[in-house]
Amino acid sequence: METNSRPVVVKRMPERVNARTAREFWNDVQPFVVADRPQLVFDLSPVVQLDAAGVDMLLRCMAEVHKRDGDLKLAAPSEPAWVVLELTRTERLFEIYETAMDAVRSFSGFLPNAMRQQLLHKRPPTSTAA
Amino acid sequence: MSALDIRALVLVNTEPSFKYDPLPLAAPAALYDVAGQSPLLRLVAHLRRCGVSPVTAVIAAERSFFPPKSSWPSHFECRSSLDSNFWQTAEATFDEVAQSGASLVLLIRLGAYAEVEFEKMAQAHAERHCRVSQAFCADQALEIFCVTASRRNDAASLFRSRFQECRNQCPEFIHTGYMNPLADARDLRQLGIDILTLQTKTRPCGNEVRPGVWIAPDVGIDPTARVIAPAFIGTSARVGAGAVVTRCTAIEHGARVDCGTVVENSTVLASAYVGAGLDLAHSVVGMGRIANLRRNTTVEVADHNLIGHSPARGLRKLLRLTEEFLSSLSAKLGRETTPETPAPLPALESAPPAPDVASAAPGTPAGDIKDGEMAGVRTHGDQ
Repeated sequence: METNSRPVVVKRMPERVNARTAREFWNDVQPFVVADRPQLVFDLSPVVQLDAAGVDMLLRCMAEVHKRDGDLKLAAPSEPAWVVLELTRTERLFEIYETAMDAVRSFSGFLPNAMRQQLLHKRPPTSTAA
Repeated sequence: MSALDIRALVLVNTEPSFKYDPLPLAAPAALYDVAGQSPLLRLVAHLRRCGVSPVTAVIAAERSFFPPKSSWPSHFECRSSLDSNFWQTAEATFDEVAQSGASLVLLIRLGAYAEVEFEKMAQAHAERHCRVSQAFCADQALEIFCVTASRRNDAASLFRSRFQECRNQCPEFIHTGYMNPLADARDLRQLGIDILTLQTKTRPCGNEVRPGVWIAPDVGIDPTARVIAPAFIGTSARVGAGAVVTRCTAIEHGARVDCGTVVENSTVLASAYVGAGLDLAHSVVGMGRIANLRRNTTVEVADHNLIGHSPARGLRKLLRLTEEFLSSLSAKLGRETTPETPAPLPALESAPPAPDVASAAPGTPAGDIKDGEMAGVRTHGDQ
């Protein structure tokens, strides 16, 4: 999906996120993570099992994305995912949205765009009356 | 009342339910330790205080959930049963109890944990000349009946209807004291809170080392860990460095909380392991599962770095005994071989690595070495 600035990549996480699947997922998302100012959303709705390796992978992704001045947001975590994120105190590190769409929209509400919108509203209408 | 021989039959099983339970337990809640003792054994102790003895329990659960025999009070017996013939076993046990000379038999299904004044209930039953009377708590029928032992048919109708109905009308005995439905993990947690906040007559099983902090024997708490009242740490439990245990948390026997973990308003069930650096709140943890009460969900955690199950007490004891046996054996063998070793050094006997020292410093005058630790370090005379 494309917002009014850069594309937002939405990735659906696997059902079971253990050491093996986390590595596979990392290989999948790595091209997007290493892009310039990446905007990523991970959809956690299918997750039924998330272990420490999965949490580690999420943190790794976030660190890489932040290094490149981008952002990673989580969407629709399932109950098992929520419980593990809370247990490992990582839920406070991510922006978490109820749906992937909300997460994507949140990128377009980014401050410079918001300011631009405000400026557009404040700009006096160009009068054609001469 | 003293002339009456009152005995009790306690039934523990999980009744099949069509209602979805988001916080299920692997065994009946009455068998899990809460603040050091299971509701079953707490009930047995309460019955004994009320003058009801002996007590027989019929349990339909895995053997591993049974209370260890060492913890059984006197005049208490546990019988195992399959789920399929649970009520038949209960009926047969009732017949045995009735035939052994009881005047009244209290039938209690755990079920709800209620601190009923059984003495008063039996007295009311005898005064009213009832066949069967039932305890009620705030209009809610409890599965607690007082049955005249000779009325076997009334008892049989109770067992055959699974305590749902009696062939005669049961007079009510109103219970106004503590009651917990013990239906799921939430109730188990609530019972822990109520015991630690002294809402119940029953108390945590440990020494109250500070107001509101109960510690059982053989506990290992790191000096840097903080235990904030009210809290309970059970027998042989371990709390790691920098961990925080707070807000009515109960760490049951043999459980382990690793370094830096915060456990808040939670029950860590017996032999459970909670990994390092975690934040456990509003949960019941054990058997590799977390029942999160705030989210009203139970999650299986496959990763043993997060939530695990430490070896059972028996296994740990076996390991310790094996270790002791091996060390005694090696000591014995060492003693047997001493005549073969050249010139024993009397001053070095207390030093643990004595053979090394003897071999490393053959020229050292043995009488000069007094300190065992130093003896282990010194390899040359001038050190």
